Amino acid sequence: MIIATDRLSKWYGHVSGLNDVTVALPEGITGLLGPNGAGKSTFMKIVTGQLRPSAGSVRVFGEPIWGNAAQYHRLGFCPEQDAFYEHMTGREWLEALARLHGMDNATATASAGRALETVDLIDVADRKIGGFSKGMRQRVKLAQAIVHDPALLILDEPLSGMDPIMRRRTIRLIKDWGRAGKSVVVSSHILHEIEAMTANIVLMHNGRIVAEGDVHQIRGLIDEHPHRVWIRADDPHAVARHLLAGDEVSSVRFEEGAVVVETPKPDAFYSRLTRIAASGEAGAIEEVTSPDDNLQAVFTYLVKQ
Amino acid sequence: MPIRDQGYQRYRGDRMQRGRAWWVIARTGIIERLHRRRFLALLLFAWSPFVVHAVQLYLGATIVRAAFLAATEDTFHTFLTQQRLFVFFITIYAGAGLIASDRQSNALQIYLSKPITRHDYIGGKMLTLAIFLVAVTWVPAMMLLLLQFLFSGSLEFFLSHPRLVPAITLASMLQVALAVMTMVALSSLSRSRRFAAMLYAGLVIFAAALERVLETATGSPAWILISPQNTLLLVTDAIFGEPPEKAALLALAVAALAGVLAACALVLERRVRAVDVVA
Amino acid sequence: MRDPVVAPARRMFELALGEMLWGRRAVFMVLAAGAPILLAVVMRLAFATGSAEFIVNGNRIDIESMFGTAISLLYLRFIVPALGVFYGSALIADEIEDRTITYLFVRPMARGAIVLGKYLAYLVCVIAIVLPSAALVFFIMVPLAGMGTLIDMLVRDLGRIALGLAAYGAVFLCAGVSLKRPLVGGLIFVFGWEPVAQVLPGYLRRLTIAYYLQAGAVGVAVLIAVSVAAVALAMRTIEQREYILEQ
Repeated sequence: MIIATDRLSKWYGHVSGLNDVTVALPEGITGLLGPNGAGKSTFMKIVTGQLRPSAGSVRVFGEPIWGNAAQYHRLGFCPEQDAFYEHMTGREWLEALARLHGMDNATATASAGRALETVDLIDVADRKIGGFSKGMRQRVKLAQAIVHDPALLILDEPLSGMDPIMRRRTIRLIKDWGRAGKSVVVSSHILHEIEAMTANIVLMHNGRIVAEGDVHQIRGLIDEHPHRVWIRADDPHAVARHLLAGDEVSSVRFEEGAVVVETPKPDAFYSRLTRIAASGEAGAIEEVTSPDDNLQAVFTYLVKQ
Repeated sequence: MPIRDQGYQRYRGDRMQRGRAWWVIARTGIIERLHRRRFLALLLFAWSPFVVHAVQLYLGATIVRAAFLAATEDTFHTFLTQQRLFVFFITIYAGAGLIASDRQSNALQIYLSKPITRHDYIGGKMLTLAIFLVAVTWVPAMMLLLLQFLFSGSLEFFLSHPRLVPAITLASMLQVALAVMTMVALSSLSRSRRFAAMLYAGLVIFAAALERVLETATGSPAWILISPQNTLLLVTDAIFGEPPEKAALLALAVAALAGVLAACALVLERRVRAVDVVA
Repeated sequence: MRDPVVAPARRMFELALGEMLWGRRAVFMVLAAGAPILLAVVMRLAFATGSAEFIVNGNRIDIESMFGTAISLLYLRFIVPALGVFYGSALIADEIEDRTITYLFVRPMARGAIVLGKYLAYLVCVIAIVLPSAALVFFIMVPLAGMGTLIDMLVRDLGRIALGLAAYGAVFLCAGVSLKRPLVGGLIFVFGWEPVAQVLPGYLRRLTIAYYLQAGAVGVAVLIAVSVAAVALAMRTIEQREYILEQ
């Protein structure tokens, strides 16, 4: 196991950041999933030696990380914060950080160039970071994490601020790194992003590990959890009549101008609802909302189990 | 099927015609700073000269042999002069990050994208610092005056020193205005609160040091004009009616102070913009 | 493992030196060092044209003695402590406030190397800017004829300036590693406590750096020891402390 924690806890004064976390992350790509405030960043900061555990232990590559500078030859960290040496160009910054890894000038220059090419910033390498867009800043942050070709990458919300095209490219990049033999731990609060990168997930909530394992198992849990769907329509009773004709709906109740249904089969239900709306047989459907179709609802459900 | 977030709702309540954004900004800044314990300690410590003078007034009013401690105009003049040190530290502590922190976190553009004017923003920021400085200059000075009245049990002191209240008010307001304008202007020049503090401390300390050396070297009192703090001292002396050593420079001193305030206003006018051009 | 301190400190020194010399904040250092030069030019012109008399405590003094006054009043009481407070406290505190310290902490070098490298860069920068400034002031103010006898004084004063920069920088570096707002505390120490302590009786004045700058060989030894101890303490503190960065 590349990262192993044993009863890891971290508190900030009276606030608990991590609570008795015992987990072993294997090689390959692991997605760290959780809503804001779940403890993902705290976990990553402890694993990268930025913070010290209040209790428990953490080992990276089988060794403690706190005060063990040698580990950083093999570890690259992309933090969440948007903080840079704004007056430096991307190339200058990466070369400086590469030299801090012990590279000579020529190697540092070459490594910086490679990293910038990888994240598609080579054309703007000589522009000051202060003039970068949000997405470019995120990419140069990724570049500094890979400039020394580490074996383990810890990426805290790496897709934040990126446009859809760059998100797709970065996801592909992360998968390429995994195929190349690197281990990657990547955090996000967006399930489908993590799904696109890896099947191996650790779910966190309120500083605890709520679930870990294959993403399809998580998906299955979501599907088992009855979905609530709120539908505002001209004729809610007509809509309900049509929906009840199938077996996707387990319960129905009415509110003013709307019908609220519960369904254990959300995928099949939405297909049916789309057909009903398209045919117009139940009148006009004005709005469809699912308060349950988010990670928070899943976690709430999982926590209550 | 589109799934809509139900979180945002349009505000349907009452809305004032013209908001008092400057007060909202000032109040937020004041409350935020009052939550810092060290700053509260500094504010409390800034009142220690008041305590000393209050005891002095009490002794002067109650013990015949201590009559030399009784209040004079110079008591209040000295008190305001002594508060300069606290004004300096409170200005740095509470004022350095007023605009610099907003520039660092890109909040300035958010502020100015709301329906508030730049003058609302600058006014609110200045008021944040001004309130703390008034609290350690004008307020304790007026309280000393009140204590003088209460200990003496008569209005005689007031009647024999009719210009004391306006003198205290004018001197402390000048002191506050100079500190506030300078600090807020310097804070607008940088994204780093620490650098803004450095600039202010450097301006105050170096100018005073240079002035002292030049005056010592050449014997000319005119060098006082390069130090805003010492220029303010000269003007304060004149406000309290004390025969200033450098009476001939008074008009120039007032002009110099006005110049500094105007320069600060110009800096703020140019720096507080909703547009940030990165070279 | 490869050397975790010395070689990384050297690399950190190179990075920090570039930042200090070419960053905007160097302007302040240059201004602080340049002001005395302008002052010296003004005084020398005034003296040469006879348009001013130099009077200290009622006695007319010559321009050579003014150099000593300038060193004492300007450099040792203002420029040196101010630069030490401003730049020494900012070395690590700025990285923490800007949240860029993370990028340094995840490099394969002991955290103490970051402190050592930055301190050495600070020392080289300030000495490279302030000492030539003081020397230039000397050459402007002191006539050629009188220089020979006063070179010793210049060398001694330059040594005191260098030592003061090292000591103040080290002490406030240590404050910057440990405290959240080292600048205000530093200003209180340098411009509040030190001037007051000089006039207090007994041993209290020895709790200042300014005292040892005037204390001869013993003062030199103490200041060197204080500088080394402060840097060592800063290196130890940063190794053991965790920094919770504001998000």
